[in-house]
Amino acid sequence: MSLLTVDDLSVVYDQGHGRAVEAVKRVGFTLEQGEFVGLVGESGSGKSTLGYALTRLSKPPARIAGGRILFDGSDIAALSIEQVRTQRQGGFAMVLQSGMNALNPVRTIRNHFMDVFAAHGHVPLGARAARAEELIAKVELPASVLASYPGELSGGMRQRVSIALALSLEPRMIVFDEPTTALDVLVQHAVMNTIRQLQATEKFTAILISHDLGVVLEATERVLVMHDGVIVEDAPSRRILSAPEHPYTRMLLSHYGDPRAAEVSVPGLSRRASGEVSVAAPTTTPSPRRAAREPIVVSNVSKVYPARRRGAAVRAVDDVSFTLEPGMSMALVGASGSGKSTIAKLVTGVERPTAGSIAFGDLRIDRLHGRRALKRLHADVQMVFQDPYAALNPLHTVEYILSRPIENFVELRGREVRMRVLELLETVGLTPAATFAGRLPHQLSGGQRQRVVIARALASDPQVIIADEPVSMLDMSLRAGVLALLEELRENRGVSMLYITHDLLSARLVTDRIMVLNKGVVVERGDTADVLQRPQDDYTVRLLDAVPNPARP
Amino acid sequence: MRYFWGRVGLFVLTLWAAVTLNFILPRLMPGSPADAAIAKLSQNGPVSPAMRASIEAQLGVPSGSVWSQYLSYLGQVVHFDFGVSYSYFPQPVSSLIGAALPWTLVLVGSVTVIAFVVGTLLGVVAAWRRGTVLDTVPTVGGQFLSAFPYFWIALLLLFFLGYVAGWFPTSGAYSQTATPNWSLSFFGDALDHAILPGLTILITSFGGWIIGMRNTMVNTLGEDYVTFAEANGLRPRSVAMRYAARNALLPQFTSFGMVLGGVVGGSLLVETVFAYPGVGLLLFHAVTNQDYPLMQALFLIITVSVLIANFLVDILYGVLDPRTRQ
Repeated sequence: MSLLTVDDLSVVYDQGHGRAVEAVKRVGFTLEQGEFVGLVGESGSGKSTLGYALTRLSKPPARIAGGRILFDGSDIAALSIEQVRTQRQGGFAMVLQSGMNALNPVRTIRNHFMDVFAAHGHVPLGARAARAEELIAKVELPASVLASYPGELSGGMRQRVSIALALSLEPRMIVFDEPTTALDVLVQHAVMNTIRQLQATEKFTAILISHDLGVVLEATERVLVMHDGVIVEDAPSRRILSAPEHPYTRMLLSHYGDPRAAEVSVPGLSRRASGEVSVAAPTTTPSPRRAAREPIVVSNVSKVYPARRRGAAVRAVDDVSFTLEPGMSMALVGASGSGKSTIAKLVTGVERPTAGSIAFGDLRIDRLHGRRALKRLHADVQMVFQDPYAALNPLHTVEYILSRPIENFVELRGREVRMRVLELLETVGLTPAATFAGRLPHQLSGGQRQRVVIARALASDPQVIIADEPVSMLDMSLRAGVLALLEELRENRGVSMLYITHDLLSARLVTDRIMVLNKGVVVERGDTADVLQRPQDDYTVRLLDAVPNPARP
Repeated sequence: MRYFWGRVGLFVLTLWAAVTLNFILPRLMPGSPADAAIAKLSQNGPVSPAMRASIEAQLGVPSGSVWSQYLSYLGQVVHFDFGVSYSYFPQPVSSLIGAALPWTLVLVGSVTVIAFVVGTLLGVVAAWRRGTVLDTVPTVGGQFLSAFPYFWIALLLLFFLGYVAGWFPTSGAYSQTATPNWSLSFFGDALDHAILPGLTILITSFGGWIIGMRNTMVNTLGEDYVTFAEANGLRPRSVAMRYAARNALLPQFTSFGMVLGGVVGGSLLVETVFAYPGVGLLLFHAVTNQDYPLMQALFLIITVSVLIANFLVDILYGVLDPRTRQ
């Protein structure tokens, strides 16, 4: 008998007044004991909703509207609340998306374990301390972690603690809901390895929910592809890779590539080793207004943050020099904490370097004084932020958001401002522009929001764009579009771009030059294709290895 | 430990600033109390130099440099010597405050703590049973009651329970026939007198605690650590108290600290309505009678007690929330 049988399951979100949105639509599949399957889909596909339903953690307004979930032969909907609670020991467990917040900030890690043991009583009182140490060792953490509070641990460590807590239940099935999404690339890779090893040794059944087909294919034997509430494909991982059947699966796969390959392409964008670029046909006629005329010259820049209460001063950027030539696009890559975002802050004048100089033409960015100088800088150097959900004021319409910088930086008034807003929206591919102008941010999708953020950066007609992880919050299928837009802006307007990312594939796709940063130090630099194909530094190799690659066995 | 000493340092610094301000502010005002008294007298006729001298001697005219005045002022503050009251002449200010303070501390203090504990617990229940009767009744009821002006509630209670029904005495802290002592009968008499003013403060303040706790806890219930605790099969009571309520308590404590500091100031309107001999009533008399020494001392004591309460809550916060200790 199968461990888990899902039969014709529907989950809806009640919206009041008798209306409901169906998030999971008549889904059915079975899982055998010890299987490791992936559940893949983009945001809004219903994959997390399904995961919560399977572990009976759905909360209103989510509601199981039809179908059955049989776990070990019994219908979990028929269990009482207390029965569900007690069966969680030895039954099904869940590891949540952001390990960041999954632990109670005011309880020590040891107490988290003791709470679980106390709730189920499956470990004798005298053996609990030893068992907690044993579990924490399984996720490759030192026993000293037990005395810590969650706030004292890094994101990766917290997620490992969550996994150890799930293991402490001795479950037969664990649902991992995006277990590594919020983590740094290198940490992500290590945590995924731990999960795979644990699954192999502890023999629990595992469901790995992820938006990243690459991660899933690397880890699992079988993949369920979910789209719009429906499982569109259910096949062994090998077959998904070699012979994907559903167009949606093929679309997802098409967005993967090996940054090391001689020729890299995703739909709408491709790049060969020579650095030659081909872009999908531009949607608007090129209007070269003002090409970048002046380079940004960064010389021997260091940034030291003074010591916080405990610990030493942090040298975030250490003696970095580079020149961003007009019209050039350069990638700045590294794991979190490598200093790449600090460089963005220094170049945009948000922070001042501790040593060294930053010049933009005759403007010394490291010595800017007063609002007027900053305004002059920001007319030419603009920033695209990582999180399009946080970068737009939810109370203002798109038109207002875009007209502010136009009025600020460009001498336009009245009707001309509106014309410029519409022009900007068309430039970033939000057409018909008039309908987008009146919308509020929450009425836009993530990709559309990021386009608005880019349009806002373009409002002052800048020479340089600093893009800090512009696509990391977006679904795979939307990333290529935004990247192609940035590329096209560079082609048509001659804007130079500093592209900050941890994602080497996208760096390969949109940049000519690359700098690899590790702990504030540039460890490698050069032509993007060259560096990624023939990495010299060990750190670059580690970053490359961390790129999810479905094709890797 | 570092957190603790940092807080102590900050406390000492603000305490010094408050005491010093209390010294500087009256000196920035034009004229002196003696001038004011003489000006008042001169409306009725000429003031002889002898009268002037006696008034100045009575009220005390500062002598010496500002620095030596400051030092002697600090010495007086340390010894709780705040001079002599005008309106209750010749009683020293410190004994007036000493007589009023216990009544206020016991009445307003205990009622504030009771309101906090009861309101917070009801808030926990309301959030945990969201949408049920256990939620709507305390939430709506609390909101309804705390919307009333509390002197009006005081008048209602005074009229119906005190005057019409005659269940409770309508004024004072104890019967006129009784003398304060430690006997059980006096204690019962004092309690009898405390019920109406206490009830007034309780009714108007606990609704705020319910709503504050309920809303914060509704938020913490949505946190991942609560979902994860449920996913790990913890008992509902444990999830509610140790995970959700425990974290929701933190902002609640901050507001409690602020309210606690105000306790010493008394509840001016309630004490006035019930003629309760606490600090609030004393302050009312001081202000209406232009009793500067009394006012100055009361303001200083109120400020200092707000500081002390905030300091205690800060320390407690450090114990409750490990994140503040880092």
